[in-house]
Amino acid sequence: MSPDPSWGKRADLDVLNRDIRRVDGPEKVTGRAVYTHDVRLPNMLYARTLRLQTARAKINSVDVEAARQLPGVVHIHIEKEAGSEVKYSGDDSIIAVVAAETMEAALDGVRAIAVDVEKMPPVVTEKAAKAANAPLVNYGRNADSNVTSASESGDPAEIDAIMEGAAAAVELDIDIPTQHHVCLETHGHVVDPAEREGFVHVYASTQNVSGMPGQFRQTLGRDSDSIRVITPHMGGGFGAKFGAGLEGALAARIARETGRPVHFMLSRADEFTLGGNRSGSKQRIRLAADAKGKLIAVDLDAEKHGGQGRGALPGAPYRYAVDNVSSRVVSVKTAADSNRAMRAPGHPQASFGMESAVDMIAYALKMDPVEVRRRNLPSEVHSRQLDTVAKEIGWSDHPHKTAPGAVGADGMAVGIGFGAAGWGPGGRSSQCDVTVNPDGSVVSATATQDLGTGARTYVAAIVAEELGLQVNDVLAKIGDSELPPSVASGGSVTTGSSAPAIKDAAHQVREALEAKLEPVLGAAVGGYVWKDGQVSVRDGGGQALDWKAVCALLREPLVVRGQFKQALYRGNIHGVQAAKVEVDTMTGRVRVLKMVAVQDQGLPLNRMALRSQINGGMIQALSYGMLEQRVFDEQDGYLLSDNLDLYKIAGPQEMPEMVALIDDEDERESVCGMAEATIIPGHSAIANAIYNACGIRLTKMPFTADNVLEALYGKV
Amino acid sequence: MTDQKPIPPSSSGPPEEGLSRRSFLKGAGGAAAASSVLAAQAAAGQEAAVAPGAATLSGTNEVELTVNGESRKVAVEPRTTLLSALRDRMEPALTGAKLVCDMGSCGACTVVIDGQPVYSCMTLAARCSGKAITTVEGFGSPDKMSDVQDAFCEKDGLMCGFCTPGFVVATHAALDRKPNADLDELKYELSGNLCRCGTYPHIFEAAKAVQASRGAAGGNSQGEAGR
Repeated sequence: MSPDPSWGKRADLDVLNRDIRRVDGPEKVTGRAVYTHDVRLPNMLYARTLRLQTARAKINSVDVEAARQLPGVVHIHIEKEAGSEVKYSGDDSIIAVVAAETMEAALDGVRAIAVDVEKMPPVVTEKAAKAANAPLVNYGRNADSNVTSASESGDPAEIDAIMEGAAAAVELDIDIPTQHHVCLETHGHVVDPAEREGFVHVYASTQNVSGMPGQFRQTLGRDSDSIRVITPHMGGGFGAKFGAGLEGALAARIARETGRPVHFMLSRADEFTLGGNRSGSKQRIRLAADAKGKLIAVDLDAEKHGGQGRGALPGAPYRYAVDNVSSRVVSVKTAADSNRAMRAPGHPQASFGMESAVDMIAYALKMDPVEVRRRNLPSEVHSRQLDTVAKEIGWSDHPHKTAPGAVGADGMAVGIGFGAAGWGPGGRSSQCDVTVNPDGSVVSATATQDLGTGARTYVAAIVAEELGLQVNDVLAKIGDSELPPSVASGGSVTTGSSAPAIKDAAHQVREALEAKLEPVLGAAVGGYVWKDGQVSVRDGGGQALDWKAVCALLREPLVVRGQFKQALYRGNIHGVQAAKVEVDTMTGRVRVLKMVAVQDQGLPLNRMALRSQINGGMIQALSYGMLEQRVFDEQDGYLLSDNLDLYKIAGPQEMPEMVALIDDEDERESVCGMAEATIIPGHSAIANAIYNACGIRLTKMPFTADNVLEALYGKV
Repeated sequence: MTDQKPIPPSSSGPPEEGLSRRSFLKGAGGAAAASSVLAAQAAAGQEAAVAPGAATLSGTNEVELTVNGESRKVAVEPRTTLLSALRDRMEPALTGAKLVCDMGSCGACTVVIDGQPVYSCMTLAARCSGKAITTVEGFGSPDKMSDVQDAFCEKDGLMCGFCTPGFVVATHAALDRKPNADLDELKYELSGNLCRCGTYPHIFEAAKAVQASRGAAGGNSQGEAGR
């Protein structure tokens, strides 16, 4: 018998660990890829929402009579009847949904609904939520305060004592606004209520294909076995798309009630209001070090701002090793949409706090910030990665490492900063079917979704590697709940879960084919080499068959099911990033000149897709640090930043020179995901670079000109 | 980054005409005039909306659009955007152009009209008769991709792919307009488009690869297939 499946030495690989063109690239670049948003079914209705534009109100009346009379309007669902309340800005602010023959007619219907409300104080800011006599917007059972204790550890008095005798002690107040996922494809579904082949079909923009049928069980009134969820392509998730949400429940309900397919995708303003967010936070951090730069104590006082959610923050000392820690973290509830998982939930917030504090310690001790990090990051991997990025960003030639630089006569200053990250990508039960047909065609199938990570491509590529084929010789089938089950794509678990199952299936196929080859070529199972579309006997003096001839030995399709194999997965990853910035101290404008990232993840399945993901992490961190901020009108509770003009994300002109490095010193023969790690430290590195440039410590995000000017010159 | 004047690369309507969706909406509340606020706005905007050559349309009308070289008859209302006509009112639908921001911020709906990239979400379908419209589908097919489309695949200039059709069209238009654009000029030319996954660096690489291959082939070699 051949050994258990293994990824093998990198030097022996023909397909994996190379740049692989995405198998769905041609469909995507020619506009043929169909997303949920693009599904067009006969007799389909379009749905649009009517939302309360402010955060909280009592509903006096909802009059839909005029709307019902409008041409094209087919069905109106009233979610908030007279006498009910809108409790927060989010899914609770949907008052009604209009389904119509066209999107325009649905909007006509929405506009024609007359709603009479009595506004209530909005309580959309933490300040308002914490005020004396603030209305209770914590709707949890038995709640009596908008502030809830989340965690508490250590003794701040002990920390105080250590700080007093420390060689360096720093204190800072971090202020991070709420961020949005901004999936370009909004949340939504197309629900087709007509039963076909025993199924009701739901097209879903989801990162949780296998988990979705169960979520429609109640609303469709059927067993999940008879609900088929299809996600042919999906336009971004970033953690916001695990559940069907109210929009899914209402799509199902309207489809049932009208008997017609319903296309219910959120509008962009809906998406900003109820599509999820990364919680904001405030952190007071105190950090102390000895004379050698060893961190000795940290104290954290933090608030998590998750709206109706609890918020996310792993706290201090984050990735650093500090012996003495005390921490108090609370959640402040406001009448805003609940935070959701967003690419490394809580970690970018924690990174910004700790990386800023560690940097301050370095400058206080007049030490190299890279060296201080090296002394306090417990992993050797981080040490070597610090060297890698320092070299790539030009640290050794940088003129001022231990003190801020001098501002030039033109007001310009240039600086470099660093940040480190880690993640534990999971790996768990997932399955894959590989089918080899007598005509030589191969299908690799698992329910998983491709959020843009390139999952679909490795579903084919792993099989191609094992069988000595080209990627395009294998058809990848994903995004269908009727395929072998897979995990929800959260926490970078997809690769660690799916890839081992695909590998296991491919390995079993190979063994089954080798068993059939024994009477033909003579060697036992395990005695063959599969390469370049041929199978040959290992040390067999040139006896070989080509792939088609091998498959012709089959009388019927060979189908095997692969399972997750623990031995093929290991989930402990590291990354370091550096940023170089230019600060215009006259205008406050910061320009990121260059970013560098290095990331390990075990075996790189597709190097090109990995570099894309590393770039993506850096860019999202840059965008987070430089631009993004949810803004509510405090007084009336309007969400002001509910479109892409007023909620800025980084565009082409914000792009610095970017260097995405795969850590090839990591020689583990295992796989796992890595997307989360790459979004964690970039904005921290930018803030540290701003300090290195001109000596201002930006503790308030984003690093917009006004925040920079305020830090430079005080409130103007 | 660039000293060029801020003329948006993708304009909000067919080049030489004055009636965009924005000005049009001031003049036509449609059924939305049921709302008193909108009705008041409509009254206030009535005069401003009169533009030279503007015809008065109401109700549903059939217009003939030339899309990717084919004549397509489509029933539109005066307010129907070109994006909606392509995606929702044609049979079969052309869903390559995407609805993302619905207000001319993101470029996911970019198409080319008479050689100019425009936001189809900001362009009225009724104003597009007689013009040559090219959508992402018109530049190539999976079996016969354009050089830009192939370069996007070769350099991995895409991830989730939702912004990709807009970027492909914008890149074609940028390289037609400025075949030798340097990196800063490319960034400027593409700045009417947004991506959330973070594909920009690979899109720039794709554009540079196209420049290199077209340069090697002796200038602008982009065929007119499908246009």
